Amino acid sequence: MHIPDGILPAQVCAAGYAITGLATWYSLRQINSRPDPTAEIPKASLLTAAFFVASSIYIPVPPASVHLILNGLLGVMLGYFAFPAILIGLFFQALVIGHGGITTLGVNAAMMGIPAMLAYHIFQSRHTLGKVLTEPTRTGLFAFLGGTLGLGIAALIFLALIIFNIPAELDAGAERAAILALSIAHVPLALIEGLFTAMLVLFVRRVKPELLEG
Amino acid sequence: MTGALALGMVGWGLPVLAHGLTLDHRWVNSVEVQATFETGEPMVQAQVLVYAAGNPSEVWQQGTTDDQGRFSFVPDATLPGNWEVMVRQAGHGAIATIPVGTVSTAPANGSKPDMTPGVEVGSAPNSLISPITNLSPVQRGITIGSVIWGLIGTGLFFARGKR
Repeated sequence: MHIPDGILPAQVCAAGYAITGLATWYSLRQINSRPDPTAEIPKASLLTAAFFVASSIYIPVPPASVHLILNGLLGVMLGYFAFPAILIGLFFQALVIGHGGITTLGVNAAMMGIPAMLAYHIFQSRHTLGKVLTEPTRTGLFAFLGGTLGLGIAALIFLALIIFNIPAELDAGAERAAILALSIAHVPLALIEGLFTAMLVLFVRRVKPELLEG
Repeated sequence: MTGALALGMVGWGLPVLAHGLTLDHRWVNSVEVQATFETGEPMVQAQVLVYAAGNPSEVWQQGTTDDQGRFSFVPDATLPGNWEVMVRQAGHGAIATIPVGTVSTAPANGSKPDMTPGVEVGSAPNSLISPITNLSPVQRGITIGSVIWGLIGTGLFFARGKR
């Protein structure tokens, strides 16, 4: 789902960097206002490594194959650390693996990072919205929603960005059909990542619950 | 024609990588472009746009890749320079720059067959970060491992401070 160099017009790339700049500033400000800003760095750093590797893990969803993104999982687990973590992960993916690009780094970070922040808020809302549910179910369900919607919203942003930027020379109908097919292939992936997020969160809740109180 | 085919056999260009997609090309009597995903699957029915040298704003030829992810075209020998081939599908794509020039002298070692003046096609990866394509699997593994170790090391460093 990474947008490579040369696909989007320069204005969109610049706007992506502007949004990413704002989101990074906001995240770092939130982190800095904590009593101990460095306390969560080990967790954030390890999950950045997981995010970096995840895009090399392919899951076949016939007829296409999609790779893991894990942005929803990072949002649920890291809170405001998720945005800088995704930005750093994407930078190394562009540089080392060749996924995404340097000109589109801003667009990709905004596309995956902002849904990650939403995923964090979805997961945190379990305390207010999930009162009717009993404890393990509540945490599991909201982690699943965070993981699934984090990726789902990112896929929708991808769809919109690409569909509104089809060059005039291309056969727009064929390109739209291909984009829709790829986006639909992300539905099972979103469910898989949601399940994975829920499993990880439930495991962490059992062994080290304080890690979830971000 | 025979000479052109023989050159084609040895003329695989460097792959161009962009988001899990490689775009190889070779010269037969025409330029053949092969679009492959990182997983090895061919990029089937992808749209191909060919831009002639010196005119990057106007599409010179348009088409789609076949079931093997291949597309071929015959560049106009009267337009030497860097031709660009763009392959796109669903927001994924790559651009290959193919230098096309007139053949003026025969190779010094004489090992290549004689050809009538025509087009000579080389290849150059067109990417902001082209070195990725030149890394061997071992080098790539070490690079990826270094990044992972850097991140784990950062984690360990800050975890140590807490004790």
